[in-house]
Amino acid sequence: MTTATHNIEIDRDKGDFKYAETHKFDAGVGLNEGTVDYISDVKGEDDWIRDFRKRALKVFQDKPMPTHWATKDLENIDFNKIRYYLAGDQRAKKSWDDVPDEVKETFERLGIPENERKFLAGVEAQFDSEAAYSNIKEAVAKDGVIFMGSTDGLMEHPEIFKKWFGKVIPTADNKYAALNSAVFSGGSFIYVPPGVKVSHPLQAYFRINAENFGQFERTLIIADEGSEVTYMEGCTAPKFDTATLHSAVVELVAMPGAKIEYITVQNWSSNVFNLVTKRAIAHEGSVVKWIDCNIGSRLTMKYPGVILKGRKARGEVLSIALANDDQHQDTGAKMIHAADDTTSNVISKSISVGKGRSTYRGQVRIPKHLKGCKNNTECDALLINSDSRTDTYPAITVRGDQNYVQHEASVSKVSAEQIFYMQQRGLSEADAMSLSVNGFVNDLTRQFPMEYSVELKRLIELEMEGSVG
Amino acid sequence: MRASLEIKNLNVMIGDKQIIKDFSLTIPKSEVHAIMGPNGTGKSTLAKALAGHPDYEITSGDALIDGESIINLEVDERSRAGLFLAFQYPMEIPGVSIANFIRAARNARLPEGEDLDAPAYYKELYEKMDRLKIDRKFTSRSINEGFSGGEKKRCEILQLAMLNPKYAILDETDSGLDIDALKIVSEGVNALRGPELGALVITHYQRLLDYIVPDKVHVMYDGRIVKSGDKSLALELESKGYDWIKEIAENAA
Amino acid sequence: MEAEAGFDESIRYAFQNHMDSLNTVPKWWREFKTNAFDSYANMPMPRRNDENWRFANRNNLSLGKFQFDRDTVSPNVSSLVEKSRFTGTQAGGFVIADNKIVQANRAPKELTDQGVIWSPLSEAIVEHSDLLRDYFMKQGIDLGSEKFAHIHSAFVTNGVLLYIPKGIEVEAPFCSYNWSTSENGSMFPHTLVIAEANAKASVVEAQLSEGEQSVFSCGVTHLFAGVGSELNYTLIQNLNENTLGFQINSNIAGKDSTVSMNSIILGCGHYRSETHGQIKGSGAHVDMRSMALANAAQEIDQRTLQTHSAPHTTSNLLFKNALKENSKSIFSGLIKVDEVAQQTDAYQTNRNLLLSNTAEANSLPGLEIEANDVKCSHGATTSEIQEEEIFYMLARGIPKDTAEELILYGFFEEILENIVDEKLSDCTRQLIRKKFGS
Repeated sequence: MTTATHNIEIDRDKGDFKYAETHKFDAGVGLNEGTVDYISDVKGEDDWIRDFRKRALKVFQDKPMPTHWATKDLENIDFNKIRYYLAGDQRAKKSWDDVPDEVKETFERLGIPENERKFLAGVEAQFDSEAAYSNIKEAVAKDGVIFMGSTDGLMEHPEIFKKWFGKVIPTADNKYAALNSAVFSGGSFIYVPPGVKVSHPLQAYFRINAENFGQFERTLIIADEGSEVTYMEGCTAPKFDTATLHSAVVELVAMPGAKIEYITVQNWSSNVFNLVTKRAIAHEGSVVKWIDCNIGSRLTMKYPGVILKGRKARGEVLSIALANDDQHQDTGAKMIHAADDTTSNVISKSISVGKGRSTYRGQVRIPKHLKGCKNNTECDALLINSDSRTDTYPAITVRGDQNYVQHEASVSKVSAEQIFYMQQRGLSEADAMSLSVNGFVNDLTRQFPMEYSVELKRLIELEMEGSVG
Repeated sequence: MRASLEIKNLNVMIGDKQIIKDFSLTIPKSEVHAIMGPNGTGKSTLAKALAGHPDYEITSGDALIDGESIINLEVDERSRAGLFLAFQYPMEIPGVSIANFIRAARNARLPEGEDLDAPAYYKELYEKMDRLKIDRKFTSRSINEGFSGGEKKRCEILQLAMLNPKYAILDETDSGLDIDALKIVSEGVNALRGPELGALVITHYQRLLDYIVPDKVHVMYDGRIVKSGDKSLALELESKGYDWIKEIAENAA
Repeated sequence: MEAEAGFDESIRYAFQNHMDSLNTVPKWWREFKTNAFDSYANMPMPRRNDENWRFANRNNLSLGKFQFDRDTVSPNVSSLVEKSRFTGTQAGGFVIADNKIVQANRAPKELTDQGVIWSPLSEAIVEHSDLLRDYFMKQGIDLGSEKFAHIHSAFVTNGVLLYIPKGIEVEAPFCSYNWSTSENGSMFPHTLVIAEANAKASVVEAQLSEGEQSVFSCGVTHLFAGVGSELNYTLIQNLNENTLGFQINSNIAGKDSTVSMNSIILGCGHYRSETHGQIKGSGAHVDMRSMALANAAQEIDQRTLQTHSAPHTTSNLLFKNALKENSKSIFSGLIKVDEVAQQTDAYQTNRNLLLSNTAEANSLPGLEIEANDVKCSHGATTSEIQEEEIFYMLARGIPKDTAEELILYGFFEEILENIVDEKLSDCTRQLIRKKFGS
């Protein structure tokens, strides 16, 4: 545990601290119908949600683990030992002053209020199962932009929520999406009215504080016609001895001409199983861009996708993964073309350090009777040590008329001669290594918002320390 | 004692093969020395061993910068102690721009906690690039990636100019250069000559020495210096060829 | 076979008949076949979740209608022999019809005197029993068709064995022509090539149909390349479109050896091919190339693996598919580089050309890299002929069909240029032309 100061450097251990648990609401250990009822009762939910949860629980219980293609490490998750709902309060506070002291201090140590003042249009801070704080700048709210925790969103705007909820990612999409659908709590709800362009990012911060806990936030973002929004999420947890589970479902809807940019810097501690389903529907002429950086967690399985449903829609996934010892970053992208002249672009860069393993899985589908669709996929892997590992498993299906798909992947390393060259100029071996690694991801990070590319660069530098020799 | 780069009875092995044999040479600060010799005689090995390349093992002897031994220092420590090597084959480092690379190298020379004055740094960088006729657009290009042979060598001299070493070793800087590039590179080096720099120019051909006129010329053969003289030795060598050196070396043995 | 209870009985009976028909074979061969049949019978058909069968249509893999114990010889032997001349020269050649040798061109005496063995499998089982025992089906099957490899072992009776002793180099190709002629028949072509140190040889295999009968063809080719040896294998598969075809290829490349495996794929309604390059010796180089031209409702399903388990090895894979009408291709390739296999260069490229709106190309190019000092890459593209290209040729007065054909040859040229034998190259081009025009 690091000592408490309010000005901690951004680093891998930044989130490695915890406070005593003082939860008013606790669904106990293990998962059954009673757990679901408890969550629904506490939240005072309508019957349709309760039924939705129960159907999802059944799907989760019936679906096998996807270990026929995915890692066997999934078998190490003991669903009976996890706590599925922990909360201090149901409703998020709109002022930091009203947030309980330990929770407030947690987010201050992570620099959230400071960032809010500096460059954000709105912030939501989730502590275990519920948002502790949620606020949107008045100027943005005045335009009709809704930004709040999902729990609040469901109560205050059921008409919008219900229309889109579960429509992008069906409950039965995969085992972990079903799990989320059964016990979801927290996450962000965003609605941007037609033509409104939110100039500064909205940010959510997800914090796990409790041991043996599972966080299952549910995020739903709807950008109405011609609107634009950027959403950023960050996450941390203390390093516990036992496994922690994070299984989110994120659904995005880009109406005609809308633009959504969704940025993730995933920096979970190395005991977290991070099994996340993220997908967007892109209507005519809209653009959805996922920027996905995975630095932390024990195992991440996440393949952000875009269903390109309207003509000339565009989907992008730009991702960076860094896998160190005992980490497996199993990430990728799905691009499902479902209308003419849709385009998609996937650029993935992974770095494997020590015994780390990074895996790219991709799916690109262009079905018959579509015209003029294009996909470009590039996957580059950098291997640092001789026992580092990388895998690439894309799947591409193309039919139709004047469609074009190209996929390229390469594997490279930082050579001893490159390191010697840089050292001869006076750089230490570690500096030389982190400079090369940052060089490897440079053309991608350039496309990120400034604040995130700086944070990412520092995270990479810290990860590269001690990786050589 | 005059400040100098001093190489004393140096022996260097690559694997189990001895390349440098009891090699001694002193280059006083402010002087430029040239080492000439046929291919495979150990010139580049000497350069890399002095810089501390891990494949080259110094089995005995010493190398000192202004009286301080450097052979137990790491590669980067030797660099910061004032030794610069202009590589025969400069490495390409994808994604790392020239500006960021040299900046990182300059930062490594500052005391902990101190940061480079960025505007002053860029001003200096641009001036020196202009002098070497390197297009300013190159600052954002990845170091050496996709550069022509001439561009790579000019980029090496730019780094030399930016890092202000005490001693520079130029390893076959003329190889792969046409006459115009050779002139630019030589002018760049000549501009840095003066009381604060000692240089060792390694070359196979006399041509380079028309432009970088050395104070002394040494001829190397089979891992050791077999003949030293002034700049006229280079001309003599050019006309008589390396067979002449072989004879000298064999007669001496 | 779960849904084919009756078939289980009949194939067991057929296997019994097959075993009874074997006369003077060694005991180990009988045991080997019995074990293979048991393995076949105990193994399930490919399932929906099998990653090795992703995107594949598993509905037409049923073997129920085929007969495995039929003992017929084509009535038209001389015509088959006449048509079995794809190469300009040959060092030896066998024509096999429905698993029976119908013509045998033995290797010349100067080669056999040096120890070269060129033998039909049916003879080799008796005459080179020890050699076969060491090498027959010894390369492992690991790309999904294990069950079909077992049925091959259970019923195989013919094919070719080529053994090249140390230091012997043979320029002219050894040829094997495998014909299917009878309705609902089955054939099991087998090619086994063993090259000792610094030996060199090339083999051409053709799989062909006489008539439009429905047939199950299940072939296996194994190449063993010893230290410093050089092997070149070319398969031309032009079975009719009522054929269900399997082809299981593997090679083991020893130290400093060079292996080249080329496939020209034109036929079969449903064709599944698996090719495993096992690069086991340092300094070895393996090329794996394939071209397929598919039309109608053909499904061309190709799975490949490049396994590097020694340092300083290289492999290069290029699979090109051109798809007309409602045809479908699946390319699934994986490069695996073991931890010890440093300084490996491995490349994998799949290019698909869609010649109709209803054709479908699936591409699964994969990498699994556990060594860091490697150069590995894969690339996959799927596209159509660009309208501008066609327009350009039309503007020069070239008719559309010819223009498309020219582009198609251009597309396949990267594969075809590796065929050294001029006559074979011509034959292949003619087959492509015939198919393209059909």
